[in-house]
Amino acid sequence: MDFELNETQLMVRTMVKDFAEKEVAPTAREDDINETFPTEILKKMAALGLMGAPIPEEYGGMGLDWLSYGIMIEELGYQSQAVCSTVRAHISLGAQSILQWGSDEQKKKYLPDMAAGKILSGFVTTEPNVGSDIAGIECMAVDDGDSWILNGTKTWCTNGSNADIVIVIAQTDKSLKGRGLGAFIIPTDSKGYSAHAMHGKMGLRSSDSSEIALEDCRIPKENLIGKIGEGFKVAMSAFDRTRYCVAAGAVGALQQCVDASAKYVADRVQFGKQLGQFQLVQEMISEMRVECEAARLLVYRAGCLKEAGKPNTIETSMAKWYSTEAAFRGANNAIQVHGSYGYTNEYPLERILRDVKACTILEGTSQMHKLIIGRDTTGIAAF
Amino acid sequence: MNIVVCCKQVPDPEAPPASFKIDAAANKVAPAPGVNQVISPFDEQAIEAALRIKDGQESTVRVISMGTDLVSDVVKKPLAMGADELYLIQDEALNDGDGISTAYALATAIKKIGEYDLIICGRQAADWDVGQTGVGIAEELGIACVTVAKKVEVVDGKVRVERVVADGYEVVEVPLPAVVTVSNELGEPRYATLKGIMGAAKKQATVMSAADIGADTAKTGKAGAKSKLLKLYIPVREGKCEMIEAEDPAEAGALLAQKLREAKVL
Ligand SMILES: Cc1cc2nc3c(=O)[nH]c(=O)nc-3n(C[C@H](O)[C@H](O)[C@H](O)COP(=O)(O)OP(=O)(O)OC[C@H]3O[C@@H](n4cnc5c(N)ncnc54)[C@H](O)[C@@H]3O)c2cc1C
Repeated sequence: MDFELNETQLMVRTMVKDFAEKEVAPTAREDDINETFPTEILKKMAALGLMGAPIPEEYGGMGLDWLSYGIMIEELGYQSQAVCSTVRAHISLGAQSILQWGSDEQKKKYLPDMAAGKILSGFVTTEPNVGSDIAGIECMAVDDGDSWILNGTKTWCTNGSNADIVIVIAQTDKSLKGRGLGAFIIPTDSKGYSAHAMHGKMGLRSSDSSEIALEDCRIPKENLIGKIGEGFKVAMSAFDRTRYCVAAGAVGALQQCVDASAKYVADRVQFGKQLGQFQLVQEMISEMRVECEAARLLVYRAGCLKEAGKPNTIETSMAKWYSTEAAFRGANNAIQVHGSYGYTNEYPLERILRDVKACTILEGTSQMHKLIIGRDTTGIAAF
Repeated sequence: MNIVVCCKQVPDPEAPPASFKIDAAANKVAPAPGVNQVISPFDEQAIEAALRIKDGQESTVRVISMGTDLVSDVVKKPLAMGADELYLIQDEALNDGDGISTAYALATAIKKIGEYDLIICGRQAADWDVGQTGVGIAEELGIACVTVAKKVEVVDGKVRVERVVADGYEVVEVPLPAVVTVSNELGEPRYATLKGIMGAAKKQATVMSAADIGADTAKTGKAGAKSKLLKLYIPVREGKCEMIEAEDPAEAGALLAQKLREAKVL
């Protein structure tokens, strides 16, 4: 077993860390308060090749390995979960779904512009009545000769109001449940597509979450990704990728908690001593750090398995569940370490707490991941 | 244009001072193991200056880093930013030099690796802040040198430099070949790009010893140093606070100004 990162992985870490410190961190607080979508940051990321990082070079991407990609997301997540969420939805839900399931024409048509950040994408399974159980999707796609007509309401679509295309998972035959699902590329300027940004979220406030109404939305026949019946698989494989990214981003957030806490307890003096000299305070920081390292190793293992092309659904589930819950605990403790100061938005910690809470819900709730891991461990499905 | 940039690897100058320890017996600074190595920030600006020239005209940017504990992902950063070739000059006989012996070794390496029109260095390295290497290289090569540049352009076969002075800048023009040392006023160096990183990973640095560059080891490293470090210590800093008592803010301001003048701060 080798715990050393290679030269590329180290260089990616240094580069993205530097970028995130200078370009993402300065506006993270304001963007959170004002619910500002990070358009300018995405443009700068595109110029550095980050918007197409793991997309192969033949489609205009950078051909980054999975571990480097995870490290990139981790470093973005250190400064902003909202930027992380925007980027992973575009790359891992949007672009990589087309890469894995799309036809040659679809790949050539969309991927170069997606990798260059000229086309932003989203991906949506969720509906008002459909969350964890995606086989129950109600949004309908009807075959109409040379086109598909979609009707229904989608919700919680990351990037929905800013995207140029959204991949919608829709039902073609209710009686078939999961086996009737298809994945459709919807250009957001299509007639019958409308998106409404959702406001008042607890966290990830500068990430765009939108409700989407599809009213007789007609798209060309060739916009179906893969075959009818493969929509469920398209979604599940997309989740395998984004769960990895959510986990990597959470590791970044947790590392921020560790670093901020270590710095604060060296500076702050109470009872004539640095806070760091109190054992109860050190305990919180030690726990945070060990959980951060453990989470990181789970994430990196999932990344290595992906790179090797080996099955990794369970490992990714473990990484996602553990990292996001550990980040929530860590943010809670980091606020505690900072006392009343941590409770204000002068420090990024309360934002991290609000942001990583979402990470325990999206891309499979913590409970769903426990059920997936439990089913694999016992051989008994409990859902 | 053949541009050579000298880049030194140093312990991260942003690391907290407490993470550096002094080895008094050896007169050396020992950074704690957790301190990252980086390219000296002024040298990154030197790369930026070279790349700005390359953006405007056909150029080859060669980077030279000298040292024995070079970290590959650190010294390859200039390649990831857009430089073309990397030369690592590694030899124990080149270590622990001063400005003079370092300049000699670098000048020897520069002559060895090929044609040069313009050599760009940082104004000083962020570890020792001596600032002699650039001018020393020019002296060794017998060419012109312009220091503390905020802008470097090549116009009609000459290098035109905006050079920082106390109350602004002056514009200096010298014939090529020349050495220019750049200052932070040049502006932020560009980021490495992912494309650059992927390209850098595929590129091999050319590693050269003192013998490979044809250096006389009596003139390099410690043996060639002309200066001697007598004492290395961390100065004790004391903070004193004095409250200015006055009737009103205007009087307080006047008293404060007077105190600052007495302390020669103003
Ligand atoms: C910020 C944010 C961004 C999002 N982005 C996207 C996006 O881009 N695209 C998209 O399609 N969706 C997106 N979502 C939606 C997300 O995928 C869903 O919220 C998630 O799948 C959970 O569904 P739900 O919220 O409807 O909760 P439900 O499924 O209703 O679950 C509610 C609770 O019941 C539990 N529960 C449900 N079923 C079981 C069971 N069988 N056993 C035990 N417990 C169970 C859950 O764990 C949870 O605690 C986003 C959500 C958020 C918060």
